[in-house]
Amino acid sequence: MDTVVRTVGLARRYKMGDAFVDALRGVDLTIARGEFVALVGPSGSGKSTVLNLIGGLDRPTSGQVWINGVELSASDERTLTRHRRQHVGFVFQSFNLLPRLTAEENVALPLMFSGVPEKERQARARVFLEQVGLGARLTHRPTQLSGGEQQRVAIARALIGQPTLLLADEPTGNLDTTTGAEIMALLQELNQGQGLTLLVVTHDPEVAAFADRIVQLRDGRIQVSGGQP
Amino acid sequence: MTWRDLFKTALSNLGRHRVRTALSSVGVTVGILTMVTMLSLGIGVQREMIRNFQSIGLETLTLRPKFEERSLFNQFGEPPRTKLLTPALADELRTRSEVVTVVPRISLPGSMRISLRIDDQEVNIWVWDADDESPADPFSSPPEVVAGRKMDSDEPGHITLSTSLLEQMDIDDYQALIEKEVELVLHAPRGDTAAFPLTVVGVLDDRRGVRLGFSDQLALKSWWYSDPELLETQGYDALTVRTTSLSAATRLLDDLEEQGFEVRSMKMTLDMANRGILIMQAMLGSVGLVALLVASLGIANTMIMAVYERTKEIGILKAVGAAPRQIRGLFIIEASLIGLIGGVTGTVGGWLLGLGLNRLIVAIMAWQEITIPQNIHFFAVSWWLVALALVFATVVGLLAGLYPAARAARLDPLEALRYE
Repeated sequence: MDTVVRTVGLARRYKMGDAFVDALRGVDLTIARGEFVALVGPSGSGKSTVLNLIGGLDRPTSGQVWINGVELSASDERTLTRHRRQHVGFVFQSFNLLPRLTAEENVALPLMFSGVPEKERQARARVFLEQVGLGARLTHRPTQLSGGEQQRVAIARALIGQPTLLLADEPTGNLDTTTGAEIMALLQELNQGQGLTLLVVTHDPEVAAFADRIVQLRDGRIQVSGGQP
Repeated sequence: MTWRDLFKTALSNLGRHRVRTALSSVGVTVGILTMVTMLSLGIGVQREMIRNFQSIGLETLTLRPKFEERSLFNQFGEPPRTKLLTPALADELRTRSEVVTVVPRISLPGSMRISLRIDDQEVNIWVWDADDESPADPFSSPPEVVAGRKMDSDEPGHITLSTSLLEQMDIDDYQALIEKEVELVLHAPRGDTAAFPLTVVGVLDDRRGVRLGFSDQLALKSWWYSDPELLETQGYDALTVRTTSLSAATRLLDDLEEQGFEVRSMKMTLDMANRGILIMQAMLGSVGLVALLVASLGIANTMIMAVYERTKEIGILKAVGAAPRQIRGLFIIEASLIGLIGGVTGTVGGWLLGLGLNRLIVAIMAWQEITIPQNIHFFAVSWWLVALALVFATVVGLLAGLYPAARAARLDPLEALRYE
């Protein structure tokens, strides 16, 4: 099995005032290439923490994260940056688009930091916006787009660096049911059509139903890991 | 991230808050404006001075006799001379290859009362050297001939008159004065007077009463002290030695000083004036420096505010792959651009202020009837000053941006993303 993600004894402890909170208490998770995994659980169960650790936005207190065979927890800032740039794409609940940039500029943004020339960035951004069905919305700013359209722009932005892994944190959380289902269908299509590995954090069983495998988290530990519920 | 992307992004970020950017750069504008105005004043004054000194010749030395130290016995009047400037010394100097001309000088005692008599008019005057072209003030140019001609350093029996003197005497037909016989009258404290008949050979556009040659000045002084042997006992009062070059002048100066003479060169005077200007520039320039220091605090404050405002954006940029050094670069360039904007406006403002002040000074001088050359520039903005001002302003911005940029680069991506 070609493994994309492997975590071993992953733990994360936060300091809240004088007290310590254990968000994760030893999570062992393996995700194979092309897998679509949903991470579910009640709020405070540590779902987002797992996602952030895998995405290289945070470092574990103990344990290890391996992405494509590279150990992240022991890496320096430079390696983490390269990891975020090359291996993962993020999709957030609140889209996190830059309001003053057009859809095309938002999508092209990650390529700017990789030093891709402007012309090529624009061309590639158009391709990915076409792919998410927004070929006609290139010059629109986020405020001129609907929630669903904004999330599609965010997905195109996550894909433009051609990552091996797409990480989505409550991608439908700010959308109505119909739009949410459309977004999940788009993600499923990317997974099935292009073999993109997906890790989606959600508390919504309907969203989780799109996944191949559901991993249930409770109090910082994996409770159930298996196929369709 | 290419430099082009960095600059484009930085400019677009600054453009989002035009008023704030403009206000932050005002401090730099004021600082640079002050500095440019002050330094250009220094440069302008220095240029005018050097131009005047060069017209006299920097390769000229003035040699004076050595006097005894003042003591209880000679504290009134001139102390005895220990080293005389004799005609033999003048001749010896003339034989030197690096010497072009040697002109002897006589200085008349300040207590001397001299008057000029033209027809039945008589006014008190002062006598100047026939060939004295040294500027009356740092900005005046050598006098021009309005009638007749200038005199050589020694033309016995000849005299030139100045327009300012003739104005005082209500004489305006300068041409009619040429070849006219006039008299210089000496009035001794002992009561007697002596008249020296002279022929007018020229009228100069000048503020220096009359000009006489060396021999006539010596005759005046000999009569004043009742000492026909004055030259033998006292020697010359000064020798103006013109050499072939500035380096020759410096060599000769060292040589003569070693022999125990008092030597002054135009170069020394110019150096002294330059030092004065430098001190003035440093003092006035530091006013601008203080303004820039304050301005840098303003920029730092603006950038720290920007980091707070854009915390979430920084988080997003980091999540999509921005490296800390790219974030840092972005903020540093933004701060530097604020400095540069202030630098450009300050330089242009300083240049315009200089032009305005120059007009004002020229107008005031004209009103005060001080003659100055037509196209005088007290404020000169040179290219190096422009370059210096722009670089300096940018560096001020850059330094002010270092701390905020480091903060932005250090932000934890996760915390930044959660920031609302």
